[in-house]
Amino acid sequence: FSFKDSLAEDLRRADLVISHAGAGSCLETLEAGKPLIVVINEKLMNNHQLELAKQLHRDGHVYYCNCSTLLETLQSMDLSTLKPFPPGKPEKFALFLDEVVGLQ
Amino acid sequence: TGGHTTEILRLLSCLSESYSPRHYIFADSDKMSEAKIRSFEQKRSETFSNSQFTLDRIPRSREVSQSWTSSVVTTLYSLLYSLPLTYKLKPDLILCNGPGTCVPVCASALLLGLLGIKRTIIVYVESICRVETLSLSGKILYYFSDYFIVQWPDLKAKYPRSVYLGRIV
Repeated sequence: FSFKDSLAEDLRRADLVISHAGAGSCLETLEAGKPLIVVINEKLMNNHQLELAKQLHRDGHVYYCNCSTLLETLQSMDLSTLKPFPPGKPEKFALFLDEVVGLQ
Repeated sequence: TGGHTTEILRLLSCLSESYSPRHYIFADSDKMSEAKIRSFEQKRSETFSNSQFTLDRIPRSREVSQSWTSSVVTTLYSLLYSLPLTYKLKPDLILCNGPGTCVPVCASALLLGLLGIKRTIIVYVESICRVETLSLSGKILYYFSDYFIVQWPDLKAKYPRSVYLGRIV
C-alpha cells in the first residue's frame, strides 16, 4: 500500500475503515461517509495529532481505541450510533473574506 | 506542505474571481503541493476565464520538532528569500494556514508595511487539526495577523481575538 497516490478508490469500496489518527486520513474517510475506528499509538504520536481524533470521537463521528483494545472495540461496536460528518463550509470563509477586503 | 495545501485550496474554492492573480508560496522541500495547486487551478480555469497564478518556492523555515535555536536560524535564512519575493509581489492580501513557510512571508509583509512600502492584509486560518492548541505559527501570528481564524470553539474561547466561523474546510 505504501504511498499510493490516492486511497479514494479503496475508500469507496470499504465498509469499515480502521486508521491511525492522522487528520488527512480521518477527514477523508468521514467525508466519504465511511465508518471509522481511529487507533491511537501514544508512543508514536505528537500530542496535537490526537486533538482532532478526540474531538471527532466526542462529537460521535468515530470510534477510538488503542492497539490493545482494538479487538474489543471491533467486537462491541455499533456502527449505527456513529453520526454523519457534515462537510465544512468554505463559502462562509469566502463571505467573510469579501467583507474584509471590502467586496461586499 | 501536504495537509496545509489541501486545506488552503479548499479555502480558496469559493473565492470569487476578484482574488486574482494568486501567488502560491511553498517550501522548496515540498514535492506534492505543486501538483495539487496546478490541478486546482486547472479546474478553476474551466469556470473562470481569466485565471492567473504563479508558484514560488522558498527554503523551508523549520522541520517538525526542530529545536528552537536552529529554527530561528533557518527561519532567518528563509527570510532572505521571502523578503525580496514579497517586495516583488507586493500582495494586497496574504492568506496562510500554518506551515512554517508562512512566518517569514508574513514577517516580510509586516516589514514592508512598517517601511511604508506596501500595506498587506494578513489573514491566518488555523488548521482544522488544531482543536485545543495553536500551532507554533499560529501562536506567533495570532499577534501579527489582521484576522486570525480558528475552526473549533475551544480555541475561540482561549484566543478571544480570533474569529470563529465553524468548520470551513
